[in-house]
Amino acid sequence: MTDAIVAEEVRRTYGDTAALAGVSLSVADGEVFALIGPNGAGKTTLVRALTGTTDLDSGTVSVLGERPHEVERSRLGLLPQSFDPPERLTARELVAYYAGLYDDARDPDAVLAEVGLDAADDTRYENLSGGQRRRTCVGTALVNDPDVLFLDEPTTGIDPAGRRALWGLIEDLAAGGTTVFLTTHYMAEAERLADRVGLLGGGELVAVGSPAELVADHAGRSRLVVEFAAPDESADTLDGSDAAAALADGFDAEPTDAGLVVRGVDPEGIGAVVAALDDRGVAYDALTWKEPDLEDVFLRLTDRTVGDDDADRVGGPTDAVLAGGDR
Amino acid sequence: MSGPARIRSEAVAAWHAFVRRRTAVFFTFFFPVILILIFAVLVGTNPGGGGLFAEPPGYYLPGYLAVVVLFTPLSRVGSTVARHREGNRFEKLATTPLSRAEWLLAHTLVNVLIIGIAALLILGLLTLATDAALALGPANLAVVAAFTALAVALFCGLGAILGSTADSQDGVIAASNGIALPLLFLSETFVTPALLPAWFRPAMNVSPLTYFARGVRQLTFSGGPVAGELAVLAALAVAFFAAGAYAIPETD
Repeated sequence: MTDAIVAEEVRRTYGDTAALAGVSLSVADGEVFALIGPNGAGKTTLVRALTGTTDLDSGTVSVLGERPHEVERSRLGLLPQSFDPPERLTARELVAYYAGLYDDARDPDAVLAEVGLDAADDTRYENLSGGQRRRTCVGTALVNDPDVLFLDEPTTGIDPAGRRALWGLIEDLAAGGTTVFLTTHYMAEAERLADRVGLLGGGELVAVGSPAELVADHAGRSRLVVEFAAPDESADTLDGSDAAAALADGFDAEPTDAGLVVRGVDPEGIGAVVAALDDRGVAYDALTWKEPDLEDVFLRLTDRTVGDDDADRVGGPTDAVLAGGDR
Repeated sequence: MSGPARIRSEAVAAWHAFVRRRTAVFFTFFFPVILILIFAVLVGTNPGGGGLFAEPPGYYLPGYLAVVVLFTPLSRVGSTVARHREGNRFEKLATTPLSRAEWLLAHTLVNVLIIGIAALLILGLLTLATDAALALGPANLAVVAAFTALAVALFCGLGAILGSTADSQDGVIAASNGIALPLLFLSETFVTPALLPAWFRPAMNVSPLTYFARGVRQLTFSGGPVAGELAVLAALAVAFFAAGAYAIPETD
């Protein structure tokens, strides 16, 4: 399999800030590559570097074997991150406008139907909702049926149902052989769509691999969070001393602001934790189990401490609230 | 698909974007109307009386046309380029087959159409509201149209340069006003060369608008050859258009 996108030691600075500090990566033909990273990590700058819409300080980029400026433009599709097309045009006119720039474009109505906007196709862009606007913009990137598609945060602002519909569309494109390079803040999006994920931090590619590889290498162990019912009335359990003592033997338990975090517990081992708490007479409000995922990779590799994030992470897609009750 | 088809697609989108801005449409065409009403009707002219507006009404037709030929493309294209930059539209267009020159040509054609309508409005109003003696035969009108189209292309190019270098739409408007105002009054439009100091008069030849005003005046009012003015204006139009197309950003 050949590489559709290759970047070698790409550097780009803005003033004193290094947006890209020597990024090298390759994306195989037909691969879906997702770039994740915190705000300001350099994701958009990297997309611009790969599409030839920023001037590099150093390094080289090739797309389909050529420098970005030299690639036949009908083979590329781009959705910029903060893209604001002419707002007085309708959704259909906008897609038709971009279709009109190509020799061989797709039927605008079919594109609108694919992005779920066939019912709003005669509505002016300025009157569409945020999610509908983003879907229209995605449509403008698809009109030329590109070989390489760059999507910079394609689903930002789109509701969950619409997001999943676009995921299905991207999966169909990938199945048809389109190389997709996307950036996202949604870890579930990267985990579902990407063959490989790259984590950009501080302008450097911190890790690259399949979602499963990244999780296995960097996400750490599963966690069981024991939440307590009335923290202000049971200060001893609030700081976890009783519970931690109950689990001192055989468990990796640590009191946190969110409750007691027990690491490395399989679903089958939860019963043992519950039994140990019961034996010690520790009352708890809920048990939440979470298997490691890409979000853990993100947090760990971007220097966010797990303890800081525990409270935010309850209720995620791989979380399971197992029990509740004030005993 | 050929370049003309891409230009057509861009021009159609630009035209729709313009005509759906009702305020912009109203004031684009209200501007020449009020110009004629104020200066040609209310102020009037005083031939031989000295000072401003001392020439016959027909003398000032190039001035009235110059207002729309100068201000409209400068501010419209300048602010359009700035709006495109702010909305990352050029980033998107840089990955399509549409070239920068094709983009500017499409917007120039839209401006030629808009300013052509405004120019016809001015001609009609001036003819109806004043006793201006103008030579407006079909051949003369065709050459006036050529002068107008070339001047519009020239100032679209200058507008593109302004839009590419200013840091905001506000900056474009301020800069275009700052450039257009002196050009308007120092290009043999409303102020005759005789009213300016002798040492300054050669500087009028530096203004591209001077060649538009001279050419249109010789065609419609005073008579005389216009080939020289047309050639200079065409050369300047090509140069400014090329510079404007080059200035349009393809990168951040």
